Amino acid sequence: MANGFLFDVKVIELGDEKGEFCGKLFAGAGADVIKIEPPGGGPTRAFGPFYKDQPDPDRSLYFWNYNLAKRGVTLDIARTEGAAILRKLLVGAAVLLDSTPLDTLENLGLDWAALQQLNPGLVYVRITPFGRSGPWRDLKGSDLVHLALGGEMMLCGYDPQPDGTYDTPPIAPQMWHASHITGNQAFIAALGALIARAETGEGDMIDVPVHQAVSVCTEVDIPYWIYSHTPCLRQTGRHGFPQIGPPSQHKAKDGRYCNVVANPFPGGRETMIAFLKELGHAGDLEDEKYKDPANLIGFEFVHHFARIQAEAVAAFPAEELWRKAQDRGIPWVPVRHPEENLDEEQWKVRGTFGDVHHPELGETLRYGIAPTRAEECPWRMGPRAPLVGEHNEAVFCGELGLTREELRRLKDARII
Amino acid sequence: MRPLQGVRILDLTWLLAGAGGPRLLAALGAEVIRLEWRDRLDFLRYSPPVVPIEGATESRREMKSVNRGGLFNDNNPGKRSFSLNMAHPKGREVFKRLLKVSDVIVESFRADAMTKWGLGYDVLRSIKPDIIYVQQSGWGHKGPYWKYASYGPIAQGISGLTDQSGLPEPYPPAGWGYSYMDWSGAYYTAIAMLLALYYKKRTGKGQYIDGSQIEPGIFMTGTAIVDYLVNGRHWERTGNRSPYKPAAPHGAYRCAGADRWIAIAVFTDQEWRALLGEMGNPAWARDARFATLAARIINQDELDARLSEWTRDQEPFALQDRLQKAGVAAGVCQTSEDRVERDPQLKHLKWLIPLRNSESGTWPIKDVPFHFVRATVDQGGPVGRASPCYGEDNDYVYGELLRMPAQERAELEKEGVI
Repeated sequence: MANGFLFDVKVIELGDEKGEFCGKLFAGAGADVIKIEPPGGGPTRAFGPFYKDQPDPDRSLYFWNYNLAKRGVTLDIARTEGAAILRKLLVGAAVLLDSTPLDTLENLGLDWAALQQLNPGLVYVRITPFGRSGPWRDLKGSDLVHLALGGEMMLCGYDPQPDGTYDTPPIAPQMWHASHITGNQAFIAALGALIARAETGEGDMIDVPVHQAVSVCTEVDIPYWIYSHTPCLRQTGRHGFPQIGPPSQHKAKDGRYCNVVANPFPGGRETMIAFLKELGHAGDLEDEKYKDPANLIGFEFVHHFARIQAEAVAAFPAEELWRKAQDRGIPWVPVRHPEENLDEEQWKVRGTFGDVHHPELGETLRYGIAPTRAEECPWRMGPRAPLVGEHNEAVFCGELGLTREELRRLKDARII
Repeated sequence: MRPLQGVRILDLTWLLAGAGGPRLLAALGAEVIRLEWRDRLDFLRYSPPVVPIEGATESRREMKSVNRGGLFNDNNPGKRSFSLNMAHPKGREVFKRLLKVSDVIVESFRADAMTKWGLGYDVLRSIKPDIIYVQQSGWGHKGPYWKYASYGPIAQGISGLTDQSGLPEPYPPAGWGYSYMDWSGAYYTAIAMLLALYYKKRTGKGQYIDGSQIEPGIFMTGTAIVDYLVNGRHWERTGNRSPYKPAAPHGAYRCAGADRWIAIAVFTDQEWRALLGEMGNPAWARDARFATLAARIINQDELDARLSEWTRDQEPFALQDRLQKAGVAAGVCQTSEDRVERDPQLKHLKWLIPLRNSESGTWPIKDVPFHFVRATVDQGGPVGRASPCYGEDNDYVYGELLRMPAQERAELEKEGVI
C-alpha cells in the first residue's frame, strides 16, 4: 500500500555532505534511498559529534542525522566489478543523486549519454561545488567557503563600530547550511523532473552548482544592488540593510536573548505601545506627542523605540515574556538553543520530532523528522541511519541476485 | 517542454516565505495565478528598493506604483496576477469557480483565514475532490500556537538557527543577516506542493499539507539535538571554526581594503603544507604546536592571528586565486556587488536572467540554480516575464480561463469584487 509521497521511487546516492541532506529529504518523503559508500564507509562518517564522544564510523551523529531512513551498501565503484554492480543498481532506479568529485562517473564510462542508454527514465541530479564548466569549475569548496562566496557571510555578523569600520569578521552560520540550501533546491528540481517522468517516462539530467544555489539564497542585498547600487551592511542579529537599523535582539532578565519586532509595521505600533504599557515599561511613549502618528515614524523614533523595548525585555525572563507578546499578536520569540524545542508543546502536537530506535544501543532517540505536516503522507520516522555496509546482502543478493559466495569474494577483494 | 506543464496553481501567498514557493514552481513550468486585492496588497509591492523605469533618463526613485517594489519583482517572476476581493461573498463564489480549474491552492495567511472565509480543506475538497491544499503559516495550523505570528527572524530565533550563528559567548548570537527562513519557508512550500503533485500523479489523490515556517528550521538543527540527547551537550557557538569536521585554520581573515575578508578552510596536511608554501614556509609554523591537524585545532587562536598577519595586506581576489591554485579551499566574503558585477562563475552559469515587467521594463532577475539538460526550466516560467503588475492578467483569468460573460464581469467590477 502506498505510504509516503515517494512510495515508488528508488534513489541511488553517491558522494558526500553536499548531497546527503537532499538524500535525507528523499528518504523522509518515503523514497527507498540506497546510499553507496566506499568499502569501510564514506567520508562523512568521520564528522562529529560522536555517540558518547567516541569516534567510530557507526557512531557519527552527523551521519545518523543526515542519513536517517536510508539503506546503506558499500561498493568500490572505481573497480571494474564495482562499476558493473553500480550499473545494475542504476537500471532499477528513478533517481541518481551524485555529489562525487567532478568527472567521477565520466571516468567510469558513465557520462549522461551512457546513463540514458542504461536507463532512459533516470533523473540524474548532479551536485558539484561550482558547476561542471566555467572558470571556477575546479575550485575547492567547503561549507564555509561557499557561504563566503555566496554572500551569506557578508550579511551575517555584528554591528560596525561608531566610525563605521568593522572590528569583527563576517560570520558563517553553523551548521552545514551550504548543504541545506543546495539540498533543498536540488530536491525541488528533482521532484519537478520526477513529475514530468511520471507523465512521459523520460528522465533528465540536472546540474546543481552549490555556488549558484547558495548565491541565490540571499534576500534583499541583490535587489538593492541591481535597482539602486546600494550595498547592505551587516548588523547584530538582524537584517543587513543599506542603513544601520534599530536593534531587535535584546537581553532578557535571565541573560537569554529575545528577538523582537524593531520597526513595527504601520498599524502595529499602537498594539506594541499598549503592550509595553501593560508591562510597565513604556518609557515616555505615553507622552502626548506620541498620540500623533507622525511622531511614530522615522530614524530617531525607531531607535528610541528600540531602547524602550530593550528595557522592557530586560525586566522579564525570556520564556515568560514572549508568549504574552504573541497572545497580543506581537511576534516576539526567545532565541532558543536547538535542543530547547524538544519540550515545546507545539512541536509535540505536530509530530515535528520522531522517535527512532537504535537496536544495537538499546536506545530510542528523538530526531527532527518532519519539516511539514501531512496526514495523508507522513514523513518517515526512521529506521536509523545504516551501519557500514548494513544492507549489502539485502541489496546485492536479495535484489541484484548475487550469491552469498560471490558476495564473500567481492568482500575479500575489497570491492564491497 | 517544461516539467510542470499543465499544472495550475492558485497562489494566495505573501512576502517571500509564501510567494517564493510558487515562484519555484513557475520556473518548473506551472501556471501560477496570483490572487490579489487592492485594499490588502503584499506590501513588498510598494516597499524599497524601487525598480527604476528601464531606459528612463532620470530613474524615478519615488514610490508611486504598486508595480515597482524591487523585492516583489524578485519574489514573483514567472507568475500571473488577477484581482479578486475575497472579503466579498461574491468574490468567494468566483474563487470556487477557479478552484475547479486549479490543481493546487497555496496560501500563507494566518492559520485561520481560509476557515473564516468558509474555505477550509473540507469545503475545498467537496468542490474539487483531488485538490492539493498547501497552507504555509508561521507556526502551523495544528497545535496550540496556531494563532502566533512569525516572519523570517522570528522563525530563526525560535528554531535555534539564530543561536547557531556567531562568535562564542560572551558575544551575542549574530543570527542571520536576512530572512533565511523566508527562503527556507519558500523551499518547503514548494516541496510540499511538488510532493503532493507527484503523489497525485501516482495515486490520483489530492491532500492537505499543514506547513509552518518554523519547522524546517528545527529540521536543519538536527545534529545538535541528537548531540544533546546522547551526550548531554548544549549547543555552543564557535564563530567560523569547524566544530565537527576537523579543520584548522578555518575562518574569515582580514584582507586589504575596507571590510574585505577571505574564508580559508584547511582540512588535510597536504592543504596545510600548500598554504605554508604560499606563505613562504615561515619559521613559526615549524613549531610542534602546528605539526598535526589535532595540534593546529588546539592552537587555533595563535594560528588565526599568524594567518591574519599574512592576509591583511593582500588583495582578496588575488589571494583567492593564489590559494586555490595551490589546492587550498579559499573564497572571498563576497558582497552583492562582487556577485553581480564580477563573479566570473556566476556569470558563466547565467545566474541572472533578463526578464520584463510590463511597467518597469527589463531587469536582471535571479534564475533558479538548477540546469536541466532536456527540459526547459527558467524563472520566466510559462509567461516569460518578471513579476506581474497588479491585476495584469484579469483578461486571461476571467476571459480565457473562466469564460465569464462580459456583462457579469462588468457587474462584479462595479460591485468591487474584481
